[in-house]
Amino acid sequence: MLRRRATIVLLTALALTACSAPGSDKKAAGDDSGPIKIALVDAQSGQLSSLGAWELKGAKLAVDEWNAQGGINGRQIQLDVFDDQGDPTVGTNLARKIDSEGYIGMIGTAESAVTIAMAPTLKQAEIPNICSGQSPGLVAVGSEFLFLNGPTSTTYDETLAKYIVDGQGIKNIAMITNNGSYGKGEHDAFLKALKARNVTPLADQVVTTDQKDFSAALTGIRQKNPKVIFLGAEEVESGLIVKQARDLGITATFAGAAPQGTPVFLDTAGAKNAEGTIVSSPYLSNDISEASKKFAAAYLAKYNEAAELHGAKAYDGAQIMLTALKSSNVATGKELADAIRATKYQGLLGGFAYDKTGVGIFATSIGTIKDGKLVAASS
Amino acid sequence: MRQLRFAPLALIAVAAWLLPYGLDSYAIHVVNVILIFAVLAIGLGLCMGVGGQVNLAQVAFFGIGAYATAILTTRSGYGFWISAVLALAATVAIGLVIGTPALRVQSHYLGIVTLGLALAFTNWVTNAEITGGAEGISAIPVPTLPGVDLSSEYLYYYLELIVFTVVLVFGLFVVRTGLGRRMRAMRDDALAAGALGAEVPVLRMTAFLLASIYGGVGGVLYAGLIRYVAPESFSIANMFLLLGMVIIGGRQSLIGCVVGAIGLSLVREAFVDHPTVAQIGYGAVVVLVVVFAPTGLAGLPGRIRSWWSRRRGQPGTAARLQPFQPYPALAERADAEEVLRVTALSKQFRGLKALDDLSLTVTEGEIRGIVGPNGSGKTTLFNVISGLYRPTRGRVEFRGRDVTNQAPYRLARAGMSRTFQNLRLFGDLTVEENLLVALDRSATVDSWRYVLRPISVLRRNRDLHRQAREVLDRYGLTEFAGLPPKSLPYGIQRRVEIARAVAAGPSLLLLDEPAAGLNGEEVRQLSEIVRSVRDSGITVIIIEHNMGLVMSLCERITVLAGGRVIAEGGPAEVATHPAVIEAYLGDSMDDIPPVAEEASR
Repeated sequence: MLRRRATIVLLTALALTACSAPGSDKKAAGDDSGPIKIALVDAQSGQLSSLGAWELKGAKLAVDEWNAQGGINGRQIQLDVFDDQGDPTVGTNLARKIDSEGYIGMIGTAESAVTIAMAPTLKQAEIPNICSGQSPGLVAVGSEFLFLNGPTSTTYDETLAKYIVDGQGIKNIAMITNNGSYGKGEHDAFLKALKARNVTPLADQVVTTDQKDFSAALTGIRQKNPKVIFLGAEEVESGLIVKQARDLGITATFAGAAPQGTPVFLDTAGAKNAEGTIVSSPYLSNDISEASKKFAAAYLAKYNEAAELHGAKAYDGAQIMLTALKSSNVATGKELADAIRATKYQGLLGGFAYDKTGVGIFATSIGTIKDGKLVAASS
Repeated sequence: MRQLRFAPLALIAVAAWLLPYGLDSYAIHVVNVILIFAVLAIGLGLCMGVGGQVNLAQVAFFGIGAYATAILTTRSGYGFWISAVLALAATVAIGLVIGTPALRVQSHYLGIVTLGLALAFTNWVTNAEITGGAEGISAIPVPTLPGVDLSSEYLYYYLELIVFTVVLVFGLFVVRTGLGRRMRAMRDDALAAGALGAEVPVLRMTAFLLASIYGGVGGVLYAGLIRYVAPESFSIANMFLLLGMVIIGGRQSLIGCVVGAIGLSLVREAFVDHPTVAQIGYGAVVVLVVVFAPTGLAGLPGRIRSWWSRRRGQPGTAARLQPFQPYPALAERADAEEVLRVTALSKQFRGLKALDDLSLTVTEGEIRGIVGPNGSGKTTLFNVISGLYRPTRGRVEFRGRDVTNQAPYRLARAGMSRTFQNLRLFGDLTVEENLLVALDRSATVDSWRYVLRPISVLRRNRDLHRQAREVLDRYGLTEFAGLPPKSLPYGIQRRVEIARAVAAGPSLLLLDEPAAGLNGEEVRQLSEIVRSVRDSGITVIIIEHNMGLVMSLCERITVLAGGRVIAEGGPAEVATHPAVIEAYLGDSMDDIPPVAEEASR
């Protein structure tokens, strides 16, 4: 009896599915009252969580400033945090989630792979996304809803190569990079910039991300006697490399992108060892301009810690998103994306003006470490 | 009643079919991802839980399946389904390579090796040109199916549901029939499984083969669903997530693995808005399960049942051992042939000479006793004959064939069967399953039948069950059929082990101290069993310390001391042999002052 009933239910179900496909009738209605919902997606756990924490602080600072001034059109801005765990699969879950929960914009992520994974869904759902990645792959996605809050890694390394090779006329360059995603990206971008200038690196050493002893790689570099050594690794590893290089008697100048300008790098390497390091970064330090001083002070007051690049980038990204929301009268979807593209914003990193690719800033500054401090280089 | 059994299944099927109607686009995506992880967890469960092969490279299999699909569709321009088939083949090929260390190392060493290979995979995809480096591969085409738009996650769900059901049913099919039984036997005791004819190396590779197939299927589904692959999706963190699913669910049950996959994914999803407590919550669940339910969620019903019956006290009648029913005796054959010939056998363990130039011949239909003081090399002799040890020198011939240095499972399949001094029953299998492992003589390489001729596998399985019931009946074990051997009294375990060894259908049976730990009545029953076994045409060699048993049971007795044969002959002959008396009592007799002289002084 039960079995027959089950069969009937099953058949009914089959008949139902034959008539209509599920999920065809739904659309999260954008609602015009209540807070403006913006999602912040970043790794809050796992290996990349420190990046995620900086992002959150920067973005939250911007949102709090706007809310303190009454929000946009009298509506408060609600910034909700989602943890992508640095995992693209989780990212795709979250993309659906923020769509179904009616968020109109998204800040983050700091991991390019997660952002790329989310991009198709966000594009389909028409949710503009200002991310903090710097991989050229983000541009390759070709989504008109995806924006970067900084330059791509190509810009970092192009600027660096231009300064070293074109500006200083140095051609004896060695490279040491790690095989992680960041190091690999730096390796490829800098090598491309050198190739464009017909420079072949004297040495091209690749180390692993969790290596602690670099004497083999560094000895190889020492034999080539380069003038400049390009560093493509995260803060701590870069610091260790510099320290061990000095112990081996290498006197060459080091050069790198953002990680080489951070206090963590300086502390690990030792200020004396890091002296003269050339850094290509869109945000050299908190004292670079009036705006950065103001930002750094607010950041320090709120979180009791010194501001740094990632927080600054997220702050800029959030500011752009909020400015666009205001100028478009809290538009959503394509209209909001167009508003972001139209926004001209003078931020901590410089002047933003988005082109079709979703990149808004195309320059970094060159700084050098002098007396344990990163200062703008005079070239 | 029979109809009722299918009711829950039908309900689950209907619920699964109707599920998408109640979900929004976010929830359906989560469900789709969960199903993929469930497929992976089943594969890991088959390899680790059923096969006992620690496999921390499951996430790499997953990645290879997904990456291969991505590369073949975007770079080589193949269609999705052709790519899927090729990707599956690639995963299996690499899975077998990753599995090869299992032939040499086991348990945590195997874990370290496979973990290393998984790390190597993520490292390679981050750096290789063809995999798109850290940015991965995007714009994988939507799989096409005539009439169905698979870009809709709702319809993709049905594709996944069908694939998931097929692989789950296949997995259960494997576990509950010969192949799975043999894998579980190998997991419980690889040595005993080998001695019963389970081809241990082939089975270990099969475990990895299954894991890689499930990994590949998961990878293909992932590529079709997410349509983007990047190294981070296949990170070690996800490997441990998978491991968590299998452990929480209960690694020995495939349903448990599925429950674990669903449960842990939901926990992960529920905490996604609360990143700060997520780690604690997730960790707490794992710890709670490991502490309070070591057999996982799947083991809970059984634990609750046994706790409940303990609380109420054992109800009803306990299972009882029935008398042994002798085999029909075979007419004695006049032309008895040599079954076993051991020539000049030596076995050295570094400095120790366990066997020293030992020769021995056993003819068909004999019950040969092997006796000797402790350390005289009796068990070593058995281990060399049955292939567990390689002899240092000498030859072993079995039924006229040189079998020196052959693997135990080959010898077992050639008709040699043995029991062990310290019982080696498969602890997590029931008594009946222990017998089924021995009865099942099909070769593991014939497992293609599982895919191409499943009906023949089922028919064979039914046959085996019938045979097992006959054996149970004969040995009076019917009432213990469904119990785990560890729960039985020692004497019954001994009987199960003999039944298992005989069930393998040997022509030569080696019994290593079968009477150890038995009481008088049990010893009598044992001798009845051994005689009947011999009368059914099986030659028996028996190592025993119980002299009464040996003297009454054996026609010929070989006495060992110091790894050599010191005497051989009928019971009466051996008992009075001076060398035997000396070996048993020692030559210290001379040191004892004669009592009579002492008294006369």
